[in-house]
Amino acid sequence: MERKTIHTDFLIIGGGTAGCMAAVEMKERYPQCSVTIMEKAHIDRSGCLAGGMNAINAYLNKGETPESFVRYVRADSCGLVREDLVQSMAELFEYGVKKVEKWGLPILCDDDGNYIPRGRWNIKINGESLKPILAKAARSAGAKVYNWVTVTNLLTKDDRVVGAVGFSLRNGTFYVVQAKATLIATGGAAGIYRPNNPGDASHKTWYSPYNTGAGYAMGIRAGAEMTSYEMRYVAIRTKDAIAPTGTIALGAKAPQVNSDGERFMVKRYADLGGDGAPTPYRAHGPVQEIKEGRGPVYLDTRGLSEEKVRDLKSAYLDMYPSQVLYWLANGIDPAKEPVEVQTTEPYVVGGHCQAGYWVDKDRRTTLKGLYAAGDVAGGAPFKFVSGCWAEGIIAARAMGRDIEKMDSVAAEDHLVAAEEERAFKPLRGHGKVRHGIRPADFEARLQKIMEEYAGGVSTHYEMNEKMLTIARDRLAKLPEEVEHLVAGDLHQLMKVHEVIDRIDVAQVLVEHLLYRRETRWPTYQSRTDYPDRDDANWLKFVNSIRDPKTGGIEMVTRPYEQVVPGDRYNAK
Amino acid sequence: MPVWVDPEKCNGCNGSSQPPCLRMCPGDLIVKDHAENKAYLKYPEDCWDCLPCVKVCPEEAIEFHLSFQFGSKGARLIPHVPRKGSQITWDAVDLKGNKETFTIRTKIMQVALDEKVEGGAEAIDFSI
Repeated sequence: MERKTIHTDFLIIGGGTAGCMAAVEMKERYPQCSVTIMEKAHIDRSGCLAGGMNAINAYLNKGETPESFVRYVRADSCGLVREDLVQSMAELFEYGVKKVEKWGLPILCDDDGNYIPRGRWNIKINGESLKPILAKAARSAGAKVYNWVTVTNLLTKDDRVVGAVGFSLRNGTFYVVQAKATLIATGGAAGIYRPNNPGDASHKTWYSPYNTGAGYAMGIRAGAEMTSYEMRYVAIRTKDAIAPTGTIALGAKAPQVNSDGERFMVKRYADLGGDGAPTPYRAHGPVQEIKEGRGPVYLDTRGLSEEKVRDLKSAYLDMYPSQVLYWLANGIDPAKEPVEVQTTEPYVVGGHCQAGYWVDKDRRTTLKGLYAAGDVAGGAPFKFVSGCWAEGIIAARAMGRDIEKMDSVAAEDHLVAAEEERAFKPLRGHGKVRHGIRPADFEARLQKIMEEYAGGVSTHYEMNEKMLTIARDRLAKLPEEVEHLVAGDLHQLMKVHEVIDRIDVAQVLVEHLLYRRETRWPTYQSRTDYPDRDDANWLKFVNSIRDPKTGGIEMVTRPYEQVVPGDRYNAK
Repeated sequence: MPVWVDPEKCNGCNGSSQPPCLRMCPGDLIVKDHAENKAYLKYPEDCWDCLPCVKVCPEEAIEFHLSFQFGSKGARLIPHVPRKGSQITWDAVDLKGNKETFTIRTKIMQVALDEKVEGGAEAIDFSI
């Protein structure tokens, strides 16, 4: 395959929510610097925002402050969060949202021109085109975009990240990007656990199925310190359609009820805030109802006015149209019939939870020259879209300040050649390796282990040391089987690397789940052998570092630091 | 099958090497059969139901179907995206043929019929 070397000041891996905003900030603040984006799909419709968004869910409505936001997110995350990171992103919500509004995003306003809140931290948008709007801004700012490039690894030299390599999905060109500073913004990881539905709905997942943990895996392989993988995310979604429930719960103010019509959150979780209990409990509540025989669980939309139902459908069309088709195809009128909900398979994602790179306040990772923003960055949950923008901005500014001290350094040739060999080997094996393994079959093996032994849907997300040890042992066999993976074309080659990346992520995840001997976030992290929260021993972050030479995973802890005073478990 | 390209309506965006539906799929699931001059969904099991392909098709040739495991065939959801303006219109048709129309504000983003791929070599054609 042809090899092409690119020299750039800033490299952004992943042209999504964080990456596009970072590119604009870089070109505006440091116009003399070159910015290169490597994007796995086409930047206009890649990643989480492909279908659109109908709300900005992290915004400081009137009367709120970065401090009140930190207090809320801290309580919502069961008392453990990187408060410095959460505060610094909240300070930039307004800056990011105003920018995107200027680029053309319709934000719903009242007659006085004020944004219309949808909940305490939410505003309504017509965001069907949010992704192309961001992409256009990044391109117009002067970022050079390489679409359809699957980045396979970071390039390092003397413990510093000096760029990255990847291949073109369209023509197989092997790109070697030499960068002074690199931002990783590839999103989180779907597809670690077995999804809710089989067949042609197996990718009908909450999280973008094309976010496959590449950024986590590259960092793990390069020896970056990672944090809080054990705080998995389990979404509560509409049954089958897997559409967001916030649209109904917040937009139509519908309460959760069980099959007896009980408002079980109010009845059983009153001390935690009932329907307003911390997010992990809002998934845990319905899981327990179903486990204990009181399912199905619904959002009670009965009695909604015709106008409210139309509003609901309009909101879904801006973000998750298949919910509307699901109602049409099943003859469901949500005003007459409550909307059944279910919980998804677990994901690893730093935008809703805290799994990701351990970063400083400027989003520098522990590897020199590498910065992280968005879902791939850890410690700062409740990020959603606007927090990813904020992190992209923070990282861009830090990279601009740091770059004066950084030279462009080339990686050693033999390392680049070795990575080229690793990247393309599955393509060459096609038709030659006897009994080669397809990426889909490898994925099934990975998901089977995780589903059955590491707290999947069928075990009600519960796990114990014995189960996790089995998961660890079974996962340990997979890296040596990677050599049997074959790809018939470049699309399949991408799928091969997606599954290899997820094995690396899953192994680190299981170590994190084993290490935290308490249950801090029920359902996200339910240890049946340590069922209670234990602040005396576990009010700290669980971090990991994989040794690039030996592959051994070392677990460490980092202290929690309270920045904003107040009760950690009660935001009021 | 979540989305389906109607071969009667698809014109392959004429000579386009990479029609909009192919480019806008975040999963790289749509390919063009250059001999037949038609696009099609090559990997239905990997579809996320996100619909950029449906919305971007200038011929409105791509239909959105619910996976059969989730409900009956016959209901339809059809977006109409104008070339200009600031609104997207959706026709929602239930199993009995009753149609409801939604007009929603948006920012219309122009999408070219073709686009060159970065990099030196020609695109490798895996379409058939």
